[in-house]
Amino acid sequence: MTTDENILVLKGIAKRFGDKVALEHVDLQVRRGEVHVLCGENGAGKSTLMNILVGIHSPDGGQIILDGKGVTIADPLIASALGIGMVHQHFTLVPSMSVAENLFLGRHIRRYGIFSDRRAMNERARELIDNYKFALDPEARVSTLSVGQRQRVEILKALAFEAKLLILDEPTAVLTPPEVDELLKVIASLRERGRTVVFITHKLREVKAVSDRVTVLRQGRSISTHITTDVSEEDIARDMVGRDVFLTGREGQPERSFGGAVLELDNVTITNSAGRLILDSIDLEVRAGEVLGIAGVDGNGQTELAEAIAGLMPIQAGSIRLAGDDITADTVAERQAAGLGFVPEDRLDRGLSSDMSIAENMAATNYERYGVLRKGYVDRGRLNAFTEDGIKRFDIRGAKPKIPVGTLSGGNMQKVVLAREFARDPKVLLISQPTRGLDIGASEFVYSQVLSAADKGNGVLLISSELSEIFALSDRIAVIYSGRIMQVLERNEADEETVGILMNGGKRQVA
Amino acid sequence: MRSDFTDFLRAVRGPLGAIALTMALGFLLVASISDEPVLAYRELLFANFDSLSNFALFLNRATPLVLIAVGITFAFRAGVFNVGGEGQLFAGAIATTVFSIVFSGLPAIVLFPLAIAAGILGGALLGWIPGVLKVRLGVDEVVVTFMLNTIALLFTSYLVNQVIRDTTAYGAVSWMVPEKIWLPTIPGIPGATSGFIIAAVLSLASWVVLFRTKWGAEVRAAGTNLRYAEAVGIAAGGRVIWAMLIAGGFAGLAGALYVLGIGHRFEQNFSPEYGLVALTCALLARIHPAAALFTSLYYAMMLNGAAYMQISTEVPRSLVDLLTGLLVLLMTARFTLRRRSGQTSGAF
Ligand SMILES: Nc1ncnc2c1ncn2[C@@H]1O[C@H](COP(=O)(O)OP(=O)(O)O)[C@@H](O)[C@H]1O
Ligand SMILES: [Mg+2]
Repeated sequence: MTTDENILVLKGIAKRFGDKVALEHVDLQVRRGEVHVLCGENGAGKSTLMNILVGIHSPDGGQIILDGKGVTIADPLIASALGIGMVHQHFTLVPSMSVAENLFLGRHIRRYGIFSDRRAMNERARELIDNYKFALDPEARVSTLSVGQRQRVEILKALAFEAKLLILDEPTAVLTPPEVDELLKVIASLRERGRTVVFITHKLREVKAVSDRVTVLRQGRSISTHITTDVSEEDIARDMVGRDVFLTGREGQPERSFGGAVLELDNVTITNSAGRLILDSIDLEVRAGEVLGIAGVDGNGQTELAEAIAGLMPIQAGSIRLAGDDITADTVAERQAAGLGFVPEDRLDRGLSSDMSIAENMAATNYERYGVLRKGYVDRGRLNAFTEDGIKRFDIRGAKPKIPVGTLSGGNMQKVVLAREFARDPKVLLISQPTRGLDIGASEFVYSQVLSAADKGNGVLLISSELSEIFALSDRIAVIYSGRIMQVLERNEADEETVGILMNGGKRQVA
Repeated sequence: MRSDFTDFLRAVRGPLGAIALTMALGFLLVASISDEPVLAYRELLFANFDSLSNFALFLNRATPLVLIAVGITFAFRAGVFNVGGEGQLFAGAIATTVFSIVFSGLPAIVLFPLAIAAGILGGALLGWIPGVLKVRLGVDEVVVTFMLNTIALLFTSYLVNQVIRDTTAYGAVSWMVPEKIWLPTIPGIPGATSGFIIAAVLSLASWVVLFRTKWGAEVRAAGTNLRYAEAVGIAAGGRVIWAMLIAGGFAGLAGALYVLGIGHRFEQNFSPEYGLVALTCALLARIHPAAALFTSLYYAMMLNGAAYMQISTEVPRSLVDLLTGLLVLLMTARFTLRRRSGQTSGAF
């Protein structure tokens, strides 16, 4: 054991993939027992740096000093022998196996040296789970777990190797806000147990909530390291993006005026097959030029509300009107033709077909409108021109019409969805969780697009579980809880506390 | 248009490389078991082109393969893993045969198109069943298509043995279909069915339909991500069912053309597992209808060439099975290599 205060020091780490410079020069010092946040825009090189630490990539230059000694980490086994554990950005669990089986994957506890000892593994798993106070059932199949629970299994898996340095690569990107809060608590408790945690995120709120120090990476370089309490969110954002950023939207701007109703929901009700009410008599109205934000904790009916309006889920009662016409019985395509734009909450689920080309994804709802079809055939020239235009207007990086959309980063994929839906200049834009998993630069862009749609006189229904997003963009705020609209507030009468209480089902206190 | 061509080249580059490598490795293998490896390989590769009659047999072998393989590309592109080519082929062949025998009195100009249509419908029906079951009830299509193969085989066996058996002939064969509706041969190649031309044209037409029409894009959208397809307003379930109707229809047409152009009757053992071989052809063609034309020709060449090889040399024809395995291995290896490097061929 050394008494060096730094558990890990990186000096001048560099890494190239072919011609692409992923890391140019990174210095990093992680103190023993701290929570160190590494933040930076997508593509800054965070994952690459951490993959070097766990032996997945080997660096082209620079030094790794662990516990005061220079080390070479040639493969993941060496990394775990050195006590470095990592939870990857993408899940590595086997869905068809139980929690315990996953924890002991590749190192099953055996009886007589042959048979897997299921009971012993379940017991060991339970000890581990109880030790960290994770609410998990060791015998549950991973496929039945929520995303947040799966992540806890991943963390346990990394810890089961007795890792003294735990790396979490963007663990919150896939989590809902309550799950994020849970995770932040887990991280804090790991610190209490003396573990060192390197936590990657680009969400400023999380940086502030949990870290001791924060290092910013930009384009493969380490830009700055600060003690978290000494630095403002604005400063971190500026270091990440390289310029001042504006995520304030309309906050502080004067009242706006609106036209007539373009989207009206009247008594919209959905019950599931078990008879439980999912949406309970929803009445809503979005006016021309207005952004109506739906605030709420995930899972309170937002998904169903969006699907009902988009025409993807039947409603049991009520009616939906778009620009005055009843669209309750219309198909998805008919609603789109009538002027509905739909940006789904999960771009990889409903938003895009990741194996198909950018061009085909962007054209999917626009074939007729842009003359892409000629005499029934797809005119490749026009398809490309249409796509190139979208790529340019939405600044979609690394995009060419013919490459599969799945090769883009999350933010650029989201821009493909926006480009497709905005191409129709929809009278009503239904947009769900528009910046989930996006970095600051991309979020800023999405905000400006949403606001400009409203400025053009279109109505926007924004569904988001990020309160800051709701407040930045909305003219009015409706709070959904347990399938009901608790209240609709004007922007100037809404504050985070009131909305927060309503989001948890509380009554609004009348002063 | 130029870029279309380069796209095409890019699409076939890999399979051609894998085929070349397979043949090279196969040669080493033959050299190790035979004294006359050059002769064996010559027979395998070139005996098909020794005479016009060999060439005709080669085209006849390729015709059903091309049609079934192209049909399968529709199913696969729509996300349906259709292993029912064999059953659909049998359904088409028996439907055409029965119809032609029952209505043999009709004039040729009426009987011919109806007999073909009967074959297509027979195959399409067998494609429709798994399609509808998958879309409406979520039933796994592999199980259904596989079971339908057995059902089709047994049912046709019953018909040909018990109902329409040619009692004057040896073996399980039906009565001949009327000669007036036999397909003509390709001019200049005696014995070669003109069905091959139909198959080749349909393969190219399918390329256009799948990759150059909105309908084709919608089928592929439904196949790659059904929930996305629904969200952009595509009647995704309908597209999937249609793709299966087409897949079955193509295999049914293969059966019809075999009966009218090659066998002139239903023969219980007419298929050396065309359905299964065509599945391999479609996969090797990376589910591209135009490429499937070439992989099917390659397979037809190997199947017939192996017979010539076995006659002339000691090398057993099962060498072809081995080469097939090797080729599939090389193609899949190539797939993962590409996936690792982060590029897939999503669009052409
Ligand atoms: N295996 C790879 N091959 C080629 N380029 C890569 C590879 N991994 C990452 N990159 C590139 O390196 C840069 C940094 O990526 P990454 O470390 O994943 O960023 P971050 O995790 O900060 O979002 C990006 O431009 C990315 O495209
Ligand atoms: Mg990353």
